[in-house]
Amino acid sequence: MSLVARFRCPVCGAMGELALGPEMLEEARRAGAARAVAACPRGHTVVLTLDAYGAVRSAVPALAAESSRCEVTDKAPPFLRRKLQALVEKGAATEEDALLLEKAKEAGWIVC
Amino acid sequence: MLKTLIDNWGMLRVMSHFMKSVGGAKGFKLFSQYDKYYTAEAVKAALACGASCERPGNDFQRLLFDIARRRLGRCPPPEVGRPREPAPALMREYFEMVEDVVVSKACELAAKPVRDVIPEEEARALYQALVSADIYKAFRVSLYLGTGAARWGRVLLIGAGTQEPLDFLKACELAEAKCEVAAMEVDEVIFRDLARLAERRGFKAYLGWDSLGEGQFDGAVAQNVLHWASDPLDVLVRARRHASRLLVSQVVIEGSGIGFVLTYVLGAVRFLSWREVEALARQAGWRLERRYAKYPDYIAVYTRREQRR
Repeated sequence: MSLVARFRCPVCGAMGELALGPEMLEEARRAGAARAVAACPRGHTVVLTLDAYGAVRSAVPALAAESSRCEVTDKAPPFLRRKLQALVEKGAATEEDALLLEKAKEAGWIVC
Repeated sequence: MLKTLIDNWGMLRVMSHFMKSVGGAKGFKLFSQYDKYYTAEAVKAALACGASCERPGNDFQRLLFDIARRRLGRCPPPEVGRPREPAPALMREYFEMVEDVVVSKACELAAKPVRDVIPEEEARALYQALVSADIYKAFRVSLYLGTGAARWGRVLLIGAGTQEPLDFLKACELAEAKCEVAAMEVDEVIFRDLARLAERRGFKAYLGWDSLGEGQFDGAVAQNVLHWASDPLDVLVRARRHASRLLVSQVVIEGSGIGFVLTYVLGAVRFLSWREVEALARQAGWRLERRYAKYPDYIAVYTRREQRR
């Protein structure tokens, strides 16, 4: 059985759909989130972030996704999100922050 | 409160910078109030999901309810209001972690095995967040400076993890002391990170006791290690083979609450009282030189017994 993820195109607002295979859901389950590239009905390329249930957590234009290569997922504990967001945007300045960034990726709190 | 101050007087004195940064005796009291508040909240969340104080259904419930009885007098606990005064900045991150990891997951943790709720990768990331939290870094640096361990020379950090060597080096830098740091870790995954750090920061990393060989050090440090160890006595006995002095800093069951539950969720396997820590150290052949604090952090320096003969 395959699921269909519905998303609103961040460029034109049109509703789009993407069929999700079991591999993608498995990947989302394992890593906390999975990335998929989809096209909206008007042809805009969109990068989707999906959770283990196939729900669309974010939809960003492909160009914007390229400029920001990693993002903090909803799986990250709230107390750490701001810190992780800063680390994703600015990079790690200390050894401990570099390790935290690495562990957060392994935990699926950050996807790149 | 007065008894707590007397029992911890040595720590208040030698770790004065840290104590000031958490708000002194007033901050100490506020920490205790928040600890009680979050303990009560976690218990309430577990009870709301069908857990029972009389018949705890798993180890998480057993520990939580035991701590509630120690900290709050009974289980179910009395109503504990949130302290009106905000926690000092250094404590905030720690209590936010407690809220996210323990309180908000208490219902699930009361019903499922811990690793079904917090998988291994998340536990390791949370561990890194905990050990690198500002309050914990400040505590360790102050500890190494205040007890003089930063001036010991060749030092073995037992069960070092990834943060302890960095904090020890920081203390050496602040003390303008020449330190030779050796960090030993028994967890292979943590050791991989430790070895990379060691290469970059210029200290030695060892995997397991056997890798130390006959190595001798001026002092050893066991900083919050015993609650992770399957055999804490063995840790103290082995430490004695490699060093003539030992700094023990260990969070203990007296005066400590929800933080214990947090470390249990991250993988800690036992909880000791300060008397048990002292008994174990004596049994391992250490002589108490100076005790700085009894609880919630037991802090003491020991010397190898036969040296005194």
